[in-house]
Amino acid sequence: MTQTATRAVAPKAIRANLADPSRLGVLADLREVLDELVQYRFLLQQLTLRDIRLRYKQAIMGFFWAVFMPVLIVLAGLLIKYAMARMSGTELQASSVATLAIKALPWAFFVGGMQFSTASLITNHSLVTKIYFPREVLPLSSVAAQCFDSGIGALALMLVLPFLGIQLSAALFWVPVLIVMLIGMTAAAALFLSSANLFFRDVKYIVQVLLTFGIFFTPVFFEPATFGELGSRLLMLNPIAPILEGFRLAIVEGHNLMVPLTVTSGGESVLAWSPWHLLYAGSFATAGLAATAVIFHRSEQLFAEYV
Amino acid sequence: MSDAPVLFDNVSKKFRRGELHDSLRDLVPAMSRRLFRRGGGSAEELEQGDFWAVRDVSFDVRPGEALGIIGPNGAGKSTILKLLTRILRPTRGMCRLEGRVGALIEIAAGFHQDLTGRENVFLQGAIMGMSRDQIRRRFDEIVHLAGIGEFIDTPVKRYSSGMNARLGFSIAAHLEPEVLIIDEVLSVGDWSFQARAYDRIHELVTNSGIPVVVVSHQLERIASLCTKAILLDRGRVMHEGPPAECIERYVTTNWSGDEDDHTDAPAVIRGATLLTEQPAESGSVARMRLQGTVHRPSGPEDVAVSMRVRALHTGEYVFFSETVELGLALPDRGDFTLDIDLGMHVPPGLYGVELTIYDHWRRRTLKRGPTVTIEVGGGPTFLGRVQMSPRVRLVSHAETLPPRSASAV
Repeated sequence: MTQTATRAVAPKAIRANLADPSRLGVLADLREVLDELVQYRFLLQQLTLRDIRLRYKQAIMGFFWAVFMPVLIVLAGLLIKYAMARMSGTELQASSVATLAIKALPWAFFVGGMQFSTASLITNHSLVTKIYFPREVLPLSSVAAQCFDSGIGALALMLVLPFLGIQLSAALFWVPVLIVMLIGMTAAAALFLSSANLFFRDVKYIVQVLLTFGIFFTPVFFEPATFGELGSRLLMLNPIAPILEGFRLAIVEGHNLMVPLTVTSGGESVLAWSPWHLLYAGSFATAGLAATAVIFHRSEQLFAEYV
Repeated sequence: MSDAPVLFDNVSKKFRRGELHDSLRDLVPAMSRRLFRRGGGSAEELEQGDFWAVRDVSFDVRPGEALGIIGPNGAGKSTILKLLTRILRPTRGMCRLEGRVGALIEIAAGFHQDLTGRENVFLQGAIMGMSRDQIRRRFDEIVHLAGIGEFIDTPVKRYSSGMNARLGFSIAAHLEPEVLIIDEVLSVGDWSFQARAYDRIHELVTNSGIPVVVVSHQLERIASLCTKAILLDRGRVMHEGPPAECIERYVTTNWSGDEDDHTDAPAVIRGATLLTEQPAESGSVARMRLQGTVHRPSGPEDVAVSMRVRALHTGEYVFFSETVELGLALPDRGDFTLDIDLGMHVPPGLYGVELTIYDHWRRRTLKRGPTVTIEVGGGPTFLGRVQMSPRVRLVSHAETLPPRSASAV
């Protein structure tokens, strides 16, 4: 035990008094969550390592697992795009594979993160009822393990992209920003769904159904602009949509995300991108993360009783 | 208010019996009530199906003190530990715990069966709040205490249950906590490991000068580890004081109700008194006299008066016998007076003699009688479990030292 770590904990009196009004502040709650996460960062790391080890130990696919789901999504997308191209009498574009792959990877990350984290509090039942630690680390470690998986997928994608005609551009600067937003949004969903699933066990089935059909309401296989002005606006309300579109525009088109983009689709000109989309997704991720962290933190005290 | 690092101030905890929500329809009102009203309002009254698992419990533990919590199953011991370790929050009252907690509770809870011992040591250590450096530094000691040896890189699923428990205990025992909480972990592993584990806990409790809370059904452990104790029953504190006092209360209370008390027993013991002086010297004879009545005759060998002697400071039974075994048959009918002489060949302490009407044939209690308490004390001090009444005398004595034999050179 290092001296600094001792100091970090010792002076803090742990008051579990529910009637204490000073605990009601949202900011105070957020601070508490962050403090505890910093204090328990080693646990977060160990739980992440555990999840990663378990995924690759005694597993037939090994590291291929990391690219398995994105590849399947790309193949499914190609099938649909081919059908659409045939119907409209156009050719299947060569950049389609790259476009699909760039959107498939973040979508697979989002889906995987939600799937693994939703059950995280239930599967660690014995820990939740017996040992104290900030329970946030359980869903967050699931998301972190998913980051590792998708990281491998991203490495594989980076090796393939040059062969798909993707070139380096200044717009790639936006990629890290989008990644942070995506992780934030996934973490928010993870916190919310894991605690909801603790109280109501059917939440994980609801999540499964939503994720199965969610891909049709999210621009993975298509671009929102295809649906015209109104359709595009509605589809971009899905907070994941601007992130996926952002990835596509920044990587495939080399488009600076601070600049609006108008495309013609079906004879009308459609606003395919505006910086507001970025702001929308960013604030959604930030506010969502803060709100779910507070909700999670406040319901945390009931976990041991209800799990 | 007390400034002790461990403080329970009028803490109550309410639980619900049965299912919590039947449908999603209950979700919104129930959740919003919980999240936004936060324990206000209804904390006082019990709604239907609620019960108090812990009711108005107060105690504090200062550095160097060790508090033992005893009581029958369902008394609220584990709930108190969960409140202490912040796993549960109190419905009412305040509990405070300052400093890094080392909880020897469910010590293998974080183990994952597919991971190796080494991986699990780091994982479990992290769950218990250890830092990476701390685990690295004490890794060899942990493995040594657990006696895992070369199996440390074997997946835990191939461990025996004893190895599992030993490794878990070993990690917990190296926590370097500022507050130590121990729950029924003194009984894992085989005999030699239990001895090592107990030594380690004893060392932690007596040498570290930190506050300690112990829950155990092994009363003699409470007696030897703790400086004070509370006795719980159905969530309330029944008694508070020195461990021996609480243990006495605990073992002399009939928790089981009247299960083995047959109203149609053929005989009753109406009363019993100690005739010899208190405290009885260790090794001397204590005589008690009891009055009883036989209501109806039974088989000549059936009805007996049994005496079960329990060391109240540890809770252990030290002796049992009954009159038929000793060659005495009770009369067929009517009142009787019986004298029992017991040789108190035991160490000093408080002993309870539980007298019952006993079925010699079926070996069971027919009717509980009174308990006579005998205090044993005085006489020369000794160590051990039995007073062997040693007599020492010098047989011969030479005035001068025998001369060192020159032939030995």
